[in-house]
Amino acid sequence: MFKMKNFYLYINFLIGLLVFFPVHAQQQTFTAKQVVEIFQNELIAVMQQGQNLGFKGRYNRLEIAINQSHDLNKIARTVIGREWLNLSVAQQQQLSSVFSRLSIAAYAHNFKEFSGESFTFDSEEEGLRGGVVIHSYLHIPQDKAVKFDYMLKKKSDHWQIINIAANGVSDLALKRAEYTSILKRAGFDVLIKKITEKINQYAQ
Amino acid sequence: MSKRIQNNNKFFAVAVAGLLSLTSCATTETKGIDPYEDMNRSVFEFNAGLDEYLGEPISSTYDEYTPELIQTGIGNFFDNLKDINVALNNILQAKYQKGGEDTGRFLINSTLGIGGLFDFATGFGLKKHQEDFAQTLAVWGVPQGAYLVLPVLGPMTSRGVPGVVFDTAFNPATYVGVPIRAIELLNLRANAAGQLKLLDEAALDSYIFTREAFLQSRKHLINDGNVELEEDLDLDLDIDSILFEDELNN
Repeated sequence: MFKMKNFYLYINFLIGLLVFFPVHAQQQTFTAKQVVEIFQNELIAVMQQGQNLGFKGRYNRLEIAINQSHDLNKIARTVIGREWLNLSVAQQQQLSSVFSRLSIAAYAHNFKEFSGESFTFDSEEEGLRGGVVIHSYLHIPQDKAVKFDYMLKKKSDHWQIINIAANGVSDLALKRAEYTSILKRAGFDVLIKKITEKINQYAQ
Repeated sequence: MSKRIQNNNKFFAVAVAGLLSLTSCATTETKGIDPYEDMNRSVFEFNAGLDEYLGEPISSTYDEYTPELIQTGIGNFFDNLKDINVALNNILQAKYQKGGEDTGRFLINSTLGIGGLFDFATGFGLKKHQEDFAQTLAVWGVPQGAYLVLPVLGPMTSRGVPGVVFDTAFNPATYVGVPIRAIELLNLRANAAGQLKLLDEAALDSYIFTREAFLQSRKHLINDGNVELEEDLDLDLDIDSILFEDELNN
């Protein structure tokens, strides 16, 4: 009986190592550049298997990759700025939740097939307040390369992406302009409705 | 840049800035970059309707029946004519090396490329640049002014209005007749189909999305691709640090 108990403990320990350690170890040791490259590699891998995975498969794979590399909660509250404080806790949670789903769904929808695309690292730039900017390019065969700039910030010793700019167009700034305008013009419920509609469109 | 040219540029910049201030600056202070939003939204809707019922059907037909090779040739031909303007604007911005490269592009593509139908210059290492007079005005220090949506022409800023006049005047395609310009517009619309689809898919509010993407990409071109990410990052973190000071201390 004693041996059996030890065996269960041992199994639990192993499971704990398998589930917890890889994620924890990755976040502990990776540099900002590595965080971006791991995410980009996963994106390319998902694109390569895109057709077989289908939307749901791509969504599930990218959900893990995005949650490990992006600070989605921070992005969600930054896009609506001071309006965040005017929301109830339930509304804040609702916005964070739909925003996360929208971000992952947008990736799963837009990066669905592979035709030889690749990312290359260009340079790393130190930002203000301890932030880092990773400059990279997405190379598309027979087309112009797209410049991708990732802004990362350290949170509890882990580098996390807080904004991406494609050819100089900042995703955060774009969303902030849209979301604050909709909040001001139509209110919170309409914003949530529009985001949810968009998620459903991406899933089709 | 010689002192005389610098002085002329400064004078011109001040004059244009003065003109813009008459139309926009008084209101931009109180209403931000988009003081005419209601009117702009109406024109935006008009343009969207025009595109839906006229632009999109015609360009789809054009796209369907015109081989890709011919579309590329047409695009190259008009791009080559624009290189004259690009070269001129690079020189006006004192980017003489780039101006020389643009001139080289025009000469190579006009001769080897059979009147610009083929782009050999890129193969020779002469990259295509994107410059226009509105960017030149920005480099000279003319303020952006208000965001405008013009019928048919679409998004613009007050600074872009004299820019369009200049660019149109220095584009040889302007003087070859309406049918040729129509082909240019058709080709442009057909090439923009992917971007318009993306806009349709990604935007929660198409007007705001277009405005922000337009203003940011113009800024990107003015800075020659050197993105001022710090400005955005700093602004975002400023907001966040006010709201969540405890987390920043982590």
